Amino acid sequence: MMAIRELKVCLLGDTGVGKSSIVCRFVQDHFDHNISPTIGASFMTKTVPCGNELHKFLIWDTAGQERFHSLAPMYYRGSAAAVIVYDITKQDSFNTLKKWVKELKEHGPENIVMAIAGNKCDLSDIREVPMKDAKEYAESIGAVVVETSAKCAINIEELFQGISRQIPPLDHHENGNNGTIRLGNQTPQTIRRCC
Amino acid sequence: MADKLPSEFDVIVIGTGLPESIIAAACSRSGQSVLHVDSRSYYGGNWAGFNFSGLLSWIKEYQEESDVGEEWAAWQELILETEEAIVLRKKDQTVQHVEVICYVRQDSDDPIEKAGAVQKNPVSVMSPGLNDPLDTVDTSCSDTSELPAPHNEPETALEVLEVEVTLEKENQHGYTSCSQSALERDIAEHVPIMEDVANAPKKHWITYSQIVKEGRKFNIDLTSKLLYSRGLLIDLLIKSNVSRYAEFKNVTRILGYQEGNVLQVPCSRADVFNSKKLTMVEKRMLMKFLTFCLDYEQHPDEYKAYEQSTFSEYLKTQKLTPNLRHFVLHSIAMTSETSSNTLDGLRETRNFLQCLGRYGNTPFLFPLYGQGEMPQCFCRMCAVFGGTYCLNHAVQCLVVDKESGKCKAIIDHFGQRISAKYFVVEDSYLSEKTCSNVTYRQISRAVLITDGSILNADSDQHISILTVPPVEPGSAAVRVIELCSSTMTCMKGTYLVHLTCMSLKKTAREDLELVVQKLFTPYAEVELENGEQEKPSLLWALYFNMRDSSGINRDSYNNLPSNMYVCSGPDCFLGNEHAVKQAKTFFQHILPNEEFCPPLPNPEDIVFDGDGVQPEVLVPKPDTAKEVTGQRNPEEHAQE
Repeated sequence: MMAIRELKVCLLGDTGVGKSSIVCRFVQDHFDHNISPTIGASFMTKTVPCGNELHKFLIWDTAGQERFHSLAPMYYRGSAAAVIVYDITKQDSFNTLKKWVKELKEHGPENIVMAIAGNKCDLSDIREVPMKDAKEYAESIGAVVVETSAKCAINIEELFQGISRQIPPLDHHENGNNGTIRLGNQTPQTIRRCC
Repeated sequence: MADKLPSEFDVIVIGTGLPESIIAAACSRSGQSVLHVDSRSYYGGNWAGFNFSGLLSWIKEYQEESDVGEEWAAWQELILETEEAIVLRKKDQTVQHVEVICYVRQDSDDPIEKAGAVQKNPVSVMSPGLNDPLDTVDTSCSDTSELPAPHNEPETALEVLEVEVTLEKENQHGYTSCSQSALERDIAEHVPIMEDVANAPKKHWITYSQIVKEGRKFNIDLTSKLLYSRGLLIDLLIKSNVSRYAEFKNVTRILGYQEGNVLQVPCSRADVFNSKKLTMVEKRMLMKFLTFCLDYEQHPDEYKAYEQSTFSEYLKTQKLTPNLRHFVLHSIAMTSETSSNTLDGLRETRNFLQCLGRYGNTPFLFPLYGQGEMPQCFCRMCAVFGGTYCLNHAVQCLVVDKESGKCKAIIDHFGQRISAKYFVVEDSYLSEKTCSNVTYRQISRAVLITDGSILNADSDQHISILTVPPVEPGSAAVRVIELCSSTMTCMKGTYLVHLTCMSLKKTAREDLELVVQKLFTPYAEVELENGEQEKPSLLWALYFNMRDSSGINRDSYNNLPSNMYVCSGPDCFLGNEHAVKQAKTFFQHILPNEEFCPPLPNPEDIVFDGDGVQPEVLVPKPDTAKEVTGQRNPEEHAQE
């Protein structure tokens, strides 16, 4: 049996760029035109194979706290990766990408894998952000970059595969955080942190 | 700000401390539309935690005496004739006597790694003046022109009423870097990367620039508390499933302080029997007593005669050696010699014992990344259920309807009027006018960064709690919590030590410095000739006083509208019971028929139906949340 590694992934980006839609497409292979801010779901999970491991993504949504720039630092804690989303039809949403990256560097874990997703690529006829700009910027910060469409299911799987590939192999030596406790209704169990 | 806030909510919560955050979460969970604002740029108010640079900014904030201009005209026009305003406070006044002392070198970027190299001591070893803080060289941080005078010629004492940074050092460059530039993030980026201190075989001297460079590894709480493993907060976290947002560590050691020595206190059965410090007879006595405490209410005749005496007196009547009495009183019941009576002592002892063994060998848990995570976890729950979050959002006033005497709206710093049915406000936001009859207690706090544990052991990753009994008449018992780097609150090779006591003297430093001196020595970059140093070294220290607004009767506030609730800031106690109780009480006033924080749906239980309109949730009240979004965000449509 393959080992399951839990990987927390946090989503960043302006309100309305399609963060929730990307997760929804990835996890449920489903798209909803009238998606309203995810209510009651604090994170969604999906497990994908990667080499000898299974990567169980725990994808955290912003729960709307980004709308008035009030994301809590706890949102970033222990994230293995962050997906920073912009809308290729809105230059503004690309401009604010840098702000999100800065915030991530300030509050996020040091070796976090960053992936930039230029969403709504099915609307390329009203594109405002050239692919070249995104590529250059991603390169400058060492991030994975891909243009996606949650609506048409373009590159969503690829986005998460790209993240999987960037996750460093499990280093048993560094895994010194034993004794961490998660509280639950069941008997408390001691877990090993994966990242 | 691109988005404008809606103009109507069910509940408006001002302040993001723990009780406010729990109320916000509970209300949102019950389908209320919640606006949660904080005038600060961070979550938690006085419950917040900061990384090192964040803490320096916090310190600076309390240094600045900037008057916030009153913008009367802007909002007064919005008040109708039938209304009056409760003006909120512009600047927080709950923290005072902030003092910082840096014991490590601040002048150089490159660390000294030469083991055995004798360095000139950069910090004057605690001068005699330290017993009287006002005699030390207090220099306001903004004044960089003069070097502090030599320590044997103390300058005229400055009143430490306002925030001050005390620097006991000689180098001008380092001085500057502390006062201003250290606050700037980019400094950290230009400092060479240090070797991992913990892994280095020989002694690495720690410098200030290294602490700044590794500043993100620190998570320094303004309020130092632990979670009782069967306490109200743990229960609430589990019940509401908010626990999934956080991870915890067991506190691994209960320590006692006796005759100048720090000792480990055996408290579980296994501890008691494995203890090498106790004799066989003592072990039996202690076990017998502790077993009795677990169900003391079944044996009233054992303590009835002592109900009026202090717990300390009562312990003397039990068959316990002075050693054991000391540990039971200070480390297990954690009460003082004089103040608590027998019943309190027995209750506290039982509480302690009941919490043992649920998660480990001590009754306590500590959240990874610090206590400051707790309010944020509840805020996330509120947001997940549709709550709206705005930091940096000041509220000018509450609007009260003269006729009904009820609060009906707030006016924010943009002059927007936002109405609601209920208002929850943290005490520190209230103006002097509202609080003129309130008397507040004060809490004294110290935060220390040290280079070693107060009790060395096989592992360097212990989390310990120590209660130091009053060191002299007229001083308070001091609670010491020592955190290791695996709690994600400090960099490797260091410890973060929190001291807390009820304030009895004028400043936090006066209350706590004697204890600090007993446990630590100032950092010195010299190898001691006769081998191992006994006490760990102090690298950096912060002292401050914080207002304790707990236990204030509602009637003490002037003219509170009936639909307005005032939450208190952190109290002096170890647990979080007060905050949870208060939140629950207020919630039950607001929504008497609703359950307090029912479980969150498990993400794996969320089922998307065939039409895929909205996730269906397999927990109570899946529809409430749905409806609420619909009515709250009518303007917010699809993503495209």
